[in-house]
Amino acid sequence: MSAQPYGLIATFETPAEVYHAAEQVRDAGYKHWDVISPCPIHGLDKAMGLKRSIVPRISLAGGITGFITGMTLIWWTDAFDYPLIVGGKPLFSPMFAFPVSYELTILFTAFATIIGMFVVNGLPMHYHPVLKYDKIRRGMDDQFFIVIEARDPRFNAANTGVLLQKIGGKEITELEP
Amino acid sequence: MSTPAASAPVHSTAALAQKALVIGLAGIVLTALGILVSGPQAVAYSWLVGISYWTAIAIGMLLMVLIHHIFDASWSVVLRRQLEHGLSAFKWLALLFLPLVLATLFYRLDLVWPWMNPAHALAGHETVAGDILYTKKSSFLNLKTFIGMTALFFVVWIWLSARLRKASFTQDADGDVKWTRMNRVTAAMGLPLAALTLTFAAIYWIKSLEYHWFSTMYGVWFFANCFRGALSVSVLIMLWLWRRGDYKGILNNNHLHSVGQLMLALTVFWAYVTFSQYFLIWNANLPEETFWYNLREYGDWWGTGLVILFGHFVVPFLLLLSYRFKVTHRTIRRIALWILAVILIDLCYNILPAIKDAAGHPKPFLSFNLLWVLTSVIGVGGICCWSYFRSFPTAKLIPIRDPRINECLTHHE
Repeated sequence: MSAQPYGLIATFETPAEVYHAAEQVRDAGYKHWDVISPCPIHGLDKAMGLKRSIVPRISLAGGITGFITGMTLIWWTDAFDYPLIVGGKPLFSPMFAFPVSYELTILFTAFATIIGMFVVNGLPMHYHPVLKYDKIRRGMDDQFFIVIEARDPRFNAANTGVLLQKIGGKEITELEP
Repeated sequence: MSTPAASAPVHSTAALAQKALVIGLAGIVLTALGILVSGPQAVAYSWLVGISYWTAIAIGMLLMVLIHHIFDASWSVVLRRQLEHGLSAFKWLALLFLPLVLATLFYRLDLVWPWMNPAHALAGHETVAGDILYTKKSSFLNLKTFIGMTALFFVVWIWLSARLRKASFTQDADGDVKWTRMNRVTAAMGLPLAALTLTFAAIYWIKSLEYHWFSTMYGVWFFANCFRGALSVSVLIMLWLWRRGDYKGILNNNHLHSVGQLMLALTVFWAYVTFSQYFLIWNANLPEETFWYNLREYGDWWGTGLVILFGHFVVPFLLLLSYRFKVTHRTIRRIALWILAVILIDLCYNILPAIKDAAGHPKPFLSFNLLWVLTSVIGVGGICCWSYFRSFPTAKLIPIRDPRINECLTHHE
């Protein structure tokens, strides 16, 4: 076993217990920690103090890039690089550049959203130290867990253990990295 | 008329109903007086704007309830009850539409719709009766089908609304799931009916004002405005009930977020169809289609078009992208009010340029006649609000025995 563990894990029996425990971990100021639950728990994101995802901003950046790309593409090809009059229309007009820009807005937004989502959520993840814990399978069935990671600046094997105990955690165990 | 607060489960709306009725009647009287000032035609067109505006919002509410049922939606159960109250306005809208038909029949055939009078002189040398573009369309565009279809539209809307309201209100009392099933049946047959009726209503009432024109997007444009109007009114109702205290513990941010998402989606949808209509006509560049937009580039209509482009799409689109704006009461209320105002401008843009001056140019948008548009909107709107407030106490605040009510109350992203 290495000197520094991955973190501490504690077991909870009901959604209500883990929900209120999460609120206290949040209030204690921890940042690198997680709740493991077999089912979604309404309002848990708030109880954990999670902020809204930044993915929409990445999407917006992708959308703006797509729109500008579309407009530039049509202007570059039709009015600058190879000026050609088609159907008596002006060399460039946002009118006919718009469908292309619109499609590229959607395409680039979709790319940005999918890629942004995977970058932000860290998937695919082939290994996680929690999986070594032999009781973790109950977390897919009928038990709830809170994991506080050792890399959290507030982490301290003794104090964090006391906190987990105080908020009602059972079977507090050190996780191997 | 007032109910003692102790016996009523919700705050009474009797005073509000009375206020709305007074405002509505005042608006109607003022509009009627407008005939003496601006002449019957300008006022009739204004009335058409007012009646189309509120009918569009009512149709939007009908669509929202039907879509709610067809998808077996859960998050919108609470909101649905308020929309059902709104649906009570259709019978009054039918009554308020009547003056236009009566004035056409008994006062002047081409008061509003020029094609109703075969002897109506067109710019140049001919009349409607000798106009090939009219005669080809005359089996569709004639007085009898207009009156018959308009009556049919209202019958369909009133009938669908009555079914939806009855099933929903009765379920409050007996909790029988058969009412939910009945609503699902109503939704399945009602959606195609609503789609067809609103499309034909848009064509008969608004598009046919310039019957030379062609556009296959028109019904979809009207649909988008109907839906956006109803969503904006939904937001105002939700926030009003929250402010009054009725919705405390019922409404959460996720309801507002969901409505806001639909507002964003329909904003994009509106822009998509409106742009498509413009773009296809611009690109094909055929005189029998472009004239419609050429008229709308004359005078201050050009600026009005830009106000619609930016006010109806760009600004709401950018604002509604934000999560925080969608759930902040003050902001989303302002966005909803803004969209409602621009829908009115959009309807004016589609209706009013049909009135021409002696030189064949459309009369300007910013003119004294705009006053009658406002009195018409207030008049019809007052009656619609009165109908809503009158219906409000006849049912529980929320459909307490809807099978999905719990899911709705705990609505989560």
